[in-house]
Amino acid sequence: MLTTGNHPGDELQQLLDGRLEAERRAQVEAHLAVCARCRRELAALRWVTAAVRKGLPERDVPAAVAAGVAAALDGADRAARRRRPAWVIGLALAAAAVLVVLVTRGGAPDVVAAAAEELARYRAADLPLQLETGDPRALERLIARSTLRFPVRVFDFGMMGYRLAGGGAHRLAGRRSALFAYEDAGGRRVVCQMYEGRITELPAGAERREHDGIQFRIYRTAGLTLVFWQEGDVVCVLASDGDPEEAVQLAYAKAIKE
Amino acid sequence: MPHGDPEDKRARFEALALPLMGVLYNTALRLTRASEDAADLVQETFLRAYRTFENFRPGTNGKAWLFTILYSVFVNRWKRARREAGPIPPDELEERFQRFVEVAPGADEEAGKTEAWGERWPPEVEAALRALPEAFRAAVLFVDVQELSYEEAAAVLRCPVGTLRSRLFRGRRLLFASLQEYAREAGYLRPVN
Repeated sequence: MLTTGNHPGDELQQLLDGRLEAERRAQVEAHLAVCARCRRELAALRWVTAAVRKGLPERDVPAAVAAGVAAALDGADRAARRRRPAWVIGLALAAAAVLVVLVTRGGAPDVVAAAAEELARYRAADLPLQLETGDPRALERLIARSTLRFPVRVFDFGMMGYRLAGGGAHRLAGRRSALFAYEDAGGRRVVCQMYEGRITELPAGAERREHDGIQFRIYRTAGLTLVFWQEGDVVCVLASDGDPEEAVQLAYAKAIKE
Repeated sequence: MPHGDPEDKRARFEALALPLMGVLYNTALRLTRASEDAADLVQETFLRAYRTFENFRPGTNGKAWLFTILYSVFVNRWKRARREAGPIPPDELEERFQRFVEVAPGADEEAGKTEAWGERWPPEVEAALRALPEAFRAAVLFVDVQELSYEEAAAVLRCPVGTLRSRLFRGRRLLFASLQEYAREAGYLRPVN
């Protein structure tokens, strides 16, 4: 039996939501008959629950969101058709995991680890591309319609033998990014991303180089190379599973002094 | 279950998920509180759901399954990055609630006149919900707005049912406290006698 000094607390809510057993419900209702405080509390809970349940305004889904979902599903279908055997995916992700472990020692690993993982997923045909295109301008137009707040230029590595495969607006460790994916005739792959940030936030453990007055941070392991540099408020990262020095040269070729 | 023909998979997925895009988008808006983030969250949710569609058991609650994915993506990508800064600190709201329930007998107010609000709700309710700290907002969102059971909502939030219950209780109290002044001024709370 409840007394006036022994309030039922969140059992009032369970009473309201019809979740009390009959015997307990009777006890709580008997308490309510003699306790103004609990009556007020129940009334408040009932009022606010009804206020929310009655129906909040629902916004229509913007056409761009629906189109983005359709494009994502299309990309997943295309990736599934190209999907490689599970062991290939496992090897690629294991390589990325090694890099994660290595850079974790140096501090916040998010961006470096995430960039490595995106490359691993792309190698495993497990990274759906928002737009599959070999035309850098088409990709720039798509990204310009996205919610990214910084100007994006899609790198053209055609002279170096890498063909643009596609890309789109993306997220890198929770940050908005633009992503471009490439591959060459030998099956080597490059994934570049741009995001708002500073290379000074990157974890320790990078090799530092300077070329044409631009600072580069290079992370290498397990067959993957990641090269970061700053362009204004944007950090660019080039991730490659090809020759490590070639990856650095690709970055040198495309980096622009801020 | 779903295996086999990719086109069949796509068709079955779309039949389940596309009608729920609106509730997912509005839930994403209330979680992220930003339309750009909500758009990204919905897209990522659909992509993940599609890729793990084999894990969905037909006959179970598809909305709860999609919410589970949506909330998981939200927690991993957004929650840590977003500061929780409601206009009124939760402790102050809790004090307001206590003052409301402990007022002396005779100064009672009615608090049950929601019918009088009509079909269109004022934006204050939406704003107060969005201002709740995330843990309480999510509990109110999934139980009261989306009408999941306690058990389904606890599964979405990956917490025990008891935790969900106490977050919901606190969330409702805080929400009432933040709407109390508005409700009184608008005549929805009236002195008895």
